[in-house]
Amino acid sequence: MSTTPQQNADELAWPAPEKRRSIGKDTRRIDGPAKVTGMARYSHDVRLPGMVYARFVTCALPAAAIELDLTAALAVPGVVEVVRVVGDSTLYLGQPIAAVTAETPEAAAEGARAVAVTLTELPWAVTAEQSLAPDAPKVNPRGNIGRERTQEEGDIEAGFAASDAIVEATYTIPIQHHSCLETHGMVVDYRGGDSAVIHGSVQGTFALLDGPPDSLGLDASMVEGDVQHMGGGFGSKFGIGIEGKIACEIAKRLGRPVHLMMDRETEFHASGNRSGNSVTIKAGASKDGVIQALVADSNKLGGLSGGSYAGLPYVYSVANFSSTSRSVYTNTDGNRAFRAPGHPQASFGMESLIDELAYAIGKDLVEMRLANLPDDEQHSVWRRQLRRVADEIGWNEHPYKSAPGPHKVEGGREYVEGIGFGISVWGGGGYPSCEVEARVDREGSLIVSVGVQDLGTGSRTLVAMVAADEFGLEVHQVTARIGNTRFGNGVMSGGSVTTASLAPAVKDASNKMRAALIALVATNTGKDASALSFADGGVIVGDGLRVSWRDACALCPAGGLTTHGVFQKALQSSGVHGAQAARVRIDLVTGEVKVLKMVAIHDMGIALNPMAVRSQIQGAMVQAVSYALFEERLIDADLGIALNPNFESYRLANVHSIPEMTVIIDDEDGRGVIGIGEPPAIPGIGAIAGAIQNACGVRVRDMPLSPTKILIGLEELRRS
Amino acid sequence: MKDFEYIQPETVEAATAALATKENADWATAKARVFGGGQDLLGEMKTGLEEPSALVNVKWIQGLGGVTQADGGNLKFGATTKLRALEGLFSSGAFQVLSEAAKTIGSPQIRTQATLAGNLCQRPRCLYYRRPEAKCLKKGGDECFAYGGYNKFNAILGGGPSYIVHPSDMGPALMALDAQIEISDSKGTTEMALDDFFTLPSDGDVTRENVLRPDQVVISLRTGLDTPSEWRSTYLKFQERDGFDFALSAVALSLRVQNGAITDARIVLGGVAPRPWRCREAEQLLLGSMEAASLAKRGAAAADAALLGAEPLEHNAYKVPLTKGLLQRALRQLTA
Repeated sequence: MSTTPQQNADELAWPAPEKRRSIGKDTRRIDGPAKVTGMARYSHDVRLPGMVYARFVTCALPAAAIELDLTAALAVPGVVEVVRVVGDSTLYLGQPIAAVTAETPEAAAEGARAVAVTLTELPWAVTAEQSLAPDAPKVNPRGNIGRERTQEEGDIEAGFAASDAIVEATYTIPIQHHSCLETHGMVVDYRGGDSAVIHGSVQGTFALLDGPPDSLGLDASMVEGDVQHMGGGFGSKFGIGIEGKIACEIAKRLGRPVHLMMDRETEFHASGNRSGNSVTIKAGASKDGVIQALVADSNKLGGLSGGSYAGLPYVYSVANFSSTSRSVYTNTDGNRAFRAPGHPQASFGMESLIDELAYAIGKDLVEMRLANLPDDEQHSVWRRQLRRVADEIGWNEHPYKSAPGPHKVEGGREYVEGIGFGISVWGGGGYPSCEVEARVDREGSLIVSVGVQDLGTGSRTLVAMVAADEFGLEVHQVTARIGNTRFGNGVMSGGSVTTASLAPAVKDASNKMRAALIALVATNTGKDASALSFADGGVIVGDGLRVSWRDACALCPAGGLTTHGVFQKALQSSGVHGAQAARVRIDLVTGEVKVLKMVAIHDMGIALNPMAVRSQIQGAMVQAVSYALFEERLIDADLGIALNPNFESYRLANVHSIPEMTVIIDDEDGRGVIGIGEPPAIPGIGAIAGAIQNACGVRVRDMPLSPTKILIGLEELRRS
Repeated sequence: MKDFEYIQPETVEAATAALATKENADWATAKARVFGGGQDLLGEMKTGLEEPSALVNVKWIQGLGGVTQADGGNLKFGATTKLRALEGLFSSGAFQVLSEAAKTIGSPQIRTQATLAGNLCQRPRCLYYRRPEAKCLKKGGDECFAYGGYNKFNAILGGGPSYIVHPSDMGPALMALDAQIEISDSKGTTEMALDDFFTLPSDGDVTRENVLRPDQVVISLRTGLDTPSEWRSTYLKFQERDGFDFALSAVALSLRVQNGAITDARIVLGGVAPRPWRCREAEQLLLGSMEAASLAKRGAAAADAALLGAEPLEHNAYKVPLTKGLLQRALRQLTA
């Protein structure tokens, strides 16, 4: 890594660790106080003069012909209009069929209930079994099975012949909801005329210009999109969705501002999900722990969409394998990206299989993994990371390394502890997209503007930190303006690309501004610019000179100075590894799983804000606990109705469920900045599942890993 | 939510008078509802399961809340006593089961609003019952969808033709103390054993869980132990998620200990049957010495006896070992 003093705009590099002033230091979110005091305004919070509230009526069956009688709804006091938003029939459970617009949210809700819907049930399938049945209705006109892909390497028969133990098992993962705190939707501020402002809960500010101008019949340049704060997306908010389109159409018709945010029940079934998965694996290993052969066959369950699956063998290197996957369509809403699309599903199956093979040959779970992790130089980091989390979680002192712990209540012992592991891989690099403007005025304001949204990960703070670092200013001395289409182009927050796309462009703009200010001072003082630099506090020093930030800025022309920054490839990198370990305690009486501790290590190049990095990783671990132990969409397979579209019966982890968490930031490789949003969400479920089996011998192969299933597993072990 | 009349009487007489309409004599036609903490009723109104035309708020009736002494060391709890008030009252002794049960309910916010009588009278949490589009037995339909459907949370004891489980935690706890329930209507006041208050789908109105009529108001709950000072009790509840959840299974256990021996016992199960489920035969098996090995053996026998009649459905067989385990753990903790 270069340690060249940053004098000129063309020598762009992150400063060496000892020269970092703002970056690399734990920095609280600059919008934290606004968020905790309620001052931060989310799309849901926007209230405008003359605003109307819209809400969907949804289909209670997976497929039905729809007849609507709007008379009663239109008669509800306060209801302004009711429109049909579907054709003759529906394709998925929970599909919006009408939109009711009213003067108040309450009238909209009452109006929605008053819409008389006559559903004539059409044939449907909501489970893979139903969709694959010989007489199944056609969910997709081209067939209920999507394109099948197979990857193959080596000689499978020879691999099995070389195996000392063979495991065959099916691992299933249910459909999971994103459960964003803020539901999908937008507020369209259109009051007639030729311009509009759109406040949207989206994970790409400029998505608000993709569709709405057409729906509103306006020139795109006259539409402003605004995402100041948004309450979570996790991959489900890339576009404006049907809710955005309908909101714009209502605003156009009425010439009034429209508030259309989905209610929670609609959100559950009409705003995407993490696809479910079922994979049947047969694999064999030799006594030394090497997996000799693996054959996997997987169904992706993404509703009307294809589902995502990273494929097997995940992370580990297997010489002889065949991995097949296909989409199975059902009459439920299509899956969307969800924090590491396809990876948690693949990781769960792979890590579970490795545990089962390890026990089958009596191998230490860590040694088993080391025997199968790729050993080339590029990937050796995994070995180091796995050993590190094993040390940290207490593997060395753990009694059950190559065989699970006890399953019987005896000698007063009612609880038993186990440990499990998971490994992850991700990209996380950036690409040219962000256009950043830095501006300094005579009064000393430094304003850095870029249209990018803050998904909740701390991007706003990052913008201020990177700029502050350049000048030795305090983070709070920089004004970060983001989340608006009036600013330069941003980047969609997806694929963990935001930080690696954004930070280099902010650095570029700041670096150019630094050079411009130094040139200004040099010109005014007759000094040589190459001798000047910024010391702490924004003071320009060198050649016997000492000019304060304010004095330097005062030299600016009346309009201040403006610089523009773009992506700088050299400032970022790609490729995130990671390992996590979980320690659980099983209650042998109730089957309860208490995740006591999780340890995570991930590499992400330079950690610009370590606090934000830890926060991301901790959040991902909590999400893994929730997914592993609780979350599951339930649809009655006979009636086709949703059973748990609410947070009472769609259980999320709560404060009692959250373990002690240790986050180790692996920044030893000196690479440029890499995103860390998705990778930490991958290995946790496999680690928890493994820890459960390690503790008590029960391998639950279908998530969630409920106490009810563990209890049945314990009973079976006790009987056998 | 439909518009409704809001009535706020200051006396029991005024409340029962407001409820004493002709249509309110029967649940099928009843239009007025007693409104206490509202923690269940308001949710039912929001989802359209209940559409009352009048709510009679009983929270401001003088003397309807609070704890007073009753005969022989027993206690009387007003119907509108808040669960939050109960949870810190007893840390040992005969009434500990009440505080332990109260503590497991909902969240602190819910317990601050929720009343004791409301907890006893709340409606089932069955996933099918709670979905307006599923017109199940409980809602006047002709099928219990849980029976052949997703029945992980449903009954293993006393089920049929409906397989709901009773969601109350205070019901089993109070029954373990031989509680009596006092009920008023416009004609006067009656008292009955809480055991007789709850009904099974097979022996009562399948759309209800107790004998309360819509023109009646619960007044109080009174424990009925013989010599409470000789009793000890505990409540163990297991929920899928630790906190803010309902019981997969729960055990209320109370023991009378005289001269180092168990001379009387109550076992009442929650979360496994359409009503709090008393296990009389199992109770008898617990009687005897406090010697650990003997107790463990009797505890196992009692657990087997308590679940003898269990008929698990497709997805809830786990409730059998779970309940047996909880009962034995409760016994261990109460005799340690």
